[in-house]
Amino acid sequence: MARNLNLSQCISEALHLEMERDPQVLVIGEDVGGQGGVFGATRGLQKKYGSGRVLDTPISESAITGMGVGLALEGYRPVLEIMFVDFIGVCLDQVYNAIAKNHYMSGGKVRMPIVIKTAGGCIGSGAQHSQCLWGLFAHLPGLKVVAPSNPYDAKGLMASAVESDDPVVFIEHKGLLLKRAEDFTFGSDVPAERYTVPIGKANVVREGSDLTLVTLSGTVAPSVTAAEEALKKGISVEVIDLRSVVPLDMDTVAASVKKTGKILVVDEDYLSFGLSAEVVTRLLERKISITSVKRLAVPDVPIPGALSLEQEVVPNERSISAAIAETVGKA
Amino acid sequence: MAQEITLKDRYGYMLWMRHFELACLEGVPTREIHGELHTGVGQEAISAGMVGFLSKEDAMCSTHRNHMHAIAKGVDLRAMLAEIFEKSTGICGGFGGHMHIFDPSLKFSATGIVGAGVPVALGHAYAARLKGNQAVAVAVVGDGAVNTGAFHEAMNMAGALSLPLVVVVENNEWAISVPFSASSATETIAERAPSWRAHGIRVNGLDVEEVANAFEAALARARSGKGPSIIEAMCYRFRGHFEGDADMYRSKEEKERRRSEDPLERTKETLVARGLATLEELNEIEKSVVASISEMLASVRKDPSPSGADATRYVFAE
Repeated sequence: MARNLNLSQCISEALHLEMERDPQVLVIGEDVGGQGGVFGATRGLQKKYGSGRVLDTPISESAITGMGVGLALEGYRPVLEIMFVDFIGVCLDQVYNAIAKNHYMSGGKVRMPIVIKTAGGCIGSGAQHSQCLWGLFAHLPGLKVVAPSNPYDAKGLMASAVESDDPVVFIEHKGLLLKRAEDFTFGSDVPAERYTVPIGKANVVREGSDLTLVTLSGTVAPSVTAAEEALKKGISVEVIDLRSVVPLDMDTVAASVKKTGKILVVDEDYLSFGLSAEVVTRLLERKISITSVKRLAVPDVPIPGALSLEQEVVPNERSISAAIAETVGKA
Repeated sequence: MAQEITLKDRYGYMLWMRHFELACLEGVPTREIHGELHTGVGQEAISAGMVGFLSKEDAMCSTHRNHMHAIAKGVDLRAMLAEIFEKSTGICGGFGGHMHIFDPSLKFSATGIVGAGVPVALGHAYAARLKGNQAVAVAVVGDGAVNTGAFHEAMNMAGALSLPLVVVVENNEWAISVPFSASSATETIAERAPSWRAHGIRVNGLDVEEVANAFEAALARARSGKGPSIIEAMCYRFRGHFEGDADMYRSKEEKERRRSEDPLERTKETLVARGLATLEELNEIEKSVVASISEMLASVRKDPSPSGADATRYVFAE
């Protein structure tokens, strides 16, 4: 029985439990304190743990991420909120030159147990408030990149992210944050107590034998629906939720493709130089026999403003269904 | 603690700093050191002025030109020299290189990105607030860094929260080829401080005592909860921005004139004039420093390079 809460509350529940468990955990960002986050994912934290551990900052992302580095060097575990992932441009320097590299550059002497908690995904907000960008982070060595698709995973992956000694970019999908747990067809049961979901282990959401569909975050649900529809036409689709882009669980993907021989990657991020090509290339490097490949991703255009335009470029149930049919040769 | 450091001691540190840099220079033509090596020759009085005031609990965030700051914080010289000479015995095992010196036991770190150390120092300063201790975070930057957004963001937040942050700006008047006068809307950096509710002071960065006094005052202010300070220490970079810089942007006349104002000579003259040391005594100290560093360099050169097989280590901790 699903508890009456939405996905952002599951994340806030995870943060509550982490802050209670470990006094070194801090939450720092814009509107995370008094307001409890613009999506409510940090609600109640400041009231419970005080304005020292839960700090409302000015709109100063370089200061937020930079101070995260200093705090990590002091032994803290900062959770830094970058409200929308699109804003990472103004502070990417600290993220990829310090947070991602300090462990390496110090020869393993310093650790950066930092969570960069941020919201991504398309909800009709136009080119500067709709990106996913996990491919960008994944390209930069030293960052783990997590993007949950359901309430159960969101809570458990956040616990793992905070507990991790490595920096984790945690991308919450804006289209899922305010969705009620009971409205999810998978991962809707969220225990009240603490638990972890390991980072780097994909989840086979739906088993199938004709085609492997690999996706994550906001496109898992429409992929499952499309897979249900496909079954009515006699196409059995296995849907894999990657959960994280780094580490990329190729063992799970490869085991599935060995069975199906066909791969469709559905990615809400940009098409080129990204997740979809990475998954397919790694399969080829493993010399797995593939008879059909398709990539469905945002076709290298900024996310348009009008919903009628956005629907044309962002994978949805209709385009996923078409891609499934095409990949199995039944288009 | 500061009282224990005499002017003669500071001169000794300046000698170590100068000759450490000169030892690094030896590795450039021999291709033992790759990449663009930045030395601080001519700027020793600023780092030497910071010696003795900081404990292990105080943090220091430095720059691409970091060797002398590290010496001031107490970082092991041999391990640093080995890092710069790309040895496995280096302080970061050769994974950092000369721009990225990390010593977590002393809360010392450096970044090669101009201005990026100030927000990191802000984090250390906030940690001091959370821990409720007397620690201070020191960020050392060049004059080029003060025009970055990161500098402003960190200063503003430090001022808003009244955090124990001391920013030492080594104003050598040139951000590579662009003079400070052409890149700042204000005549000085110190005068910007009040806009961040910080204390600002401009000092002669060739005068080690003036630097030490300003630093001590800024630390006292920070430790007593009065908030951030900016110390703008005027100086001159004797060499190019990096080893290999043709340095055509500064006139020969300017370079000769400014190099004649050597902070080491200045300190030596003061010591002799005040009767605190004889010239012979100071020359003997220098000889012994030169011998020690020469021995250290010879020893470092015998160390092994890191093994190529290790290049993919340390990307992740787990």
